[in-house]
Amino acid sequence: MDLMYPARHPARDARGAAARAQDGVRVRAAARAVLRAPLARRSWAEAAYLTVGVPLTVAGFLLILMTAVFGAVLCASLTGVAAGLALLTATTVAGRGLAAVHRRLAAALPGWPPPLPGPAPFVPGRGLLGRVDARLRDGPGWRGACYVLLRLPLALASLYAVAGFWVLGLYYLTYPVWWSIAQAAAGPRPAESPVSTPLPAGGVRIATWPGALGISLLGVVVLLAAPWAVRAVVLADRWLIRRLLTGRPLSERVRELQASRAQAVDDTAALLRRVERDLHDGAQARLVAVAMQLGLAREKLAADGPDGGASGGTADPDRLDQARELVDAAHRGAKEALTELRDLARGIHPPALDHGLAEALATLAARSAVPATLTADVPVRPTPAIETIAYFCAAELLANVAKHSGADRAAIGVTTDGAALRLSVTDDGAGGAVLRPGGGLAGLAQRVAVVDGTLAVSSPDGGPTVVTVDLPLHA
Amino acid sequence: MTGPRVVIAEDTAILREGLAQLLADRGFEVRATVGDGDALLAAVAEHRPDVTVVDVRMPPTFTDEGLRAAITLRREYPGTAVLMFSQYVETRYAARLLAGGAAGVGYLLKDRVADVAEFSSALARVAAGGTALDPEVVSQMVGTSPRAASVSGLTRREREVLSMMAEGRSNAAIAAGLVVSPGAVEKHVASIFAKLGLPPSESDNRRVLAVLHYLRSS
Repeated sequence: MDLMYPARHPARDARGAAARAQDGVRVRAAARAVLRAPLARRSWAEAAYLTVGVPLTVAGFLLILMTAVFGAVLCASLTGVAAGLALLTATTVAGRGLAAVHRRLAAALPGWPPPLPGPAPFVPGRGLLGRVDARLRDGPGWRGACYVLLRLPLALASLYAVAGFWVLGLYYLTYPVWWSIAQAAAGPRPAESPVSTPLPAGGVRIATWPGALGISLLGVVVLLAAPWAVRAVVLADRWLIRRLLTGRPLSERVRELQASRAQAVDDTAALLRRVERDLHDGAQARLVAVAMQLGLAREKLAADGPDGGASGGTADPDRLDQARELVDAAHRGAKEALTELRDLARGIHPPALDHGLAEALATLAARSAVPATLTADVPVRPTPAIETIAYFCAAELLANVAKHSGADRAAIGVTTDGAALRLSVTDDGAGGAVLRPGGGLAGLAQRVAVVDGTLAVSSPDGGPTVVTVDLPLHA
Repeated sequence: MTGPRVVIAEDTAILREGLAQLLADRGFEVRATVGDGDALLAAVAEHRPDVTVVDVRMPPTFTDEGLRAAITLRREYPGTAVLMFSQYVETRYAARLLAGGAAGVGYLLKDRVADVAEFSSALARVAAGGTALDPEVVSQMVGTSPRAASVSGLTRREREVLSMMAEGRSNAAIAAGLVVSPGAVEKHVASIFAKLGLPPSESDNRRVLAVLHYLRSS
């Protein structure tokens, strides 16, 4: 232990010194920032942003308030419902428009992270009523209107921050000039000039040069504070923007994600089907033709052999043998490639699925190594993506039955219930199947979860094993 | 002497032309080559061929036009044999095709054209009213279904013989394939007929019935 002290103290001291040095650097940096703030481009931009925002907000406030109030009143009056609805529609349109303007202004503000992307573009409904209805239920439009209304107090605060700090600060800074002008204008009898302050501080009256210089000094202080007063208002404005103009409510975002996920799942299913078709019409057909030609060539060579045809004398028997072997090998290779290609295509999109899940599962049951029966009741066809997922689940579950269960028979059941599809694979095997992380069943559960499906396993020791897969009818 | 008259329905041009050439080469009389089901029905009405070679997947939907056209053909032109020709073997397709009887019906994978001699002899067999099922169809429908075997109590060897019967082979061909004497094959065939409860009649018909019985029970 003793031996360690000499080594530890200097290290600790060094760390302490480094921390202190770091603190010093930080303090100096902060002081520099405070002193430079009134001259920083960012501060001026913020002041300009708030200034521009004042008339915009007041105009927007009046517009939104009038359309909303008159619209609501007309709607309530019953006789003017049409005009009222039109006005309310105008409210949301104006809300969206004004929100876009404010968001663009905010995005141009230096020193702030750009706001999150705005709401999704408006999706008009069909027909006049549909269009009005979509507008009236346009969340982003109403939130934009709210923003404009709530921005009115912010506009007042803006006025206060810009006029009360920046303008007044500059006035103080140059106070001696105005004071001397006032003195000269007042003639031989010096007047007392009143001074107003950003914070109420009683009536201060200045009658002397030192006093005027003191006000100038006060101007420096006020100008130093001005950027921060402005920034506080901008901060409040950013908060409002985040809540109302950019950050969409989570539920809306979830809906969008669900829609885009369903789109992706459907697109993938369609893509796989197209790939399978292209394989079928392209590579597979060509390969069949090649295999056929090789088959013909093989027969011709066999017929042309030394012991075969009449032309045997013209060719070198050794080279003919070599050619025969090559063609034989190519012929075999082409046939094997065809088999592989067929398995591949089936794995991409089983053609039986074109006729619906019941038909495809019947094929699967017929091909199953363990005798399998099928009970299918699918009056409503799920989307192709769901059919594909259900089919591959059944295929893998049947393969599992054959591999692990030792069962003599299996049963596939598929039924629909409202908006859900239930697939179950039952076997009379040994049981004991578990949903183990990284296992085959867990992999299936993951694939099913992509469309919000679930997979449940019931497999007591001694069986029977029932795996139930619940899927929505649409991704 | 001219060979059987053939109409080919296949939508992929390279395969259609290759097939036509190959069959003409083998002594078949190729009357027409078409690319979809409607054209097939029209060509059959016009040429009255002995046999048609029909791709399962053709325009416009690329699912089972060929199969549907083939079933129509079987109903309206019983004298015209049909060889279904497909990239895949679907047992359900085979079952639908065979529902009206197995005489003059074939179902082969497209791969089989690679073995030219076997393919043309299968086609000739179908044209003459025989049956040609792809080994893959048979193994799917017969071989891998122990339930069917247990129902009818066939032995493994008898199932093998039945599979080869389903492929359309003669007793002599089955004997060669299994490397047994023709007498042994005859004994197996008789045993199969007995176990499936098929009464003695013209033996060709019984062979077809045995196969059908088997396919239906699976």
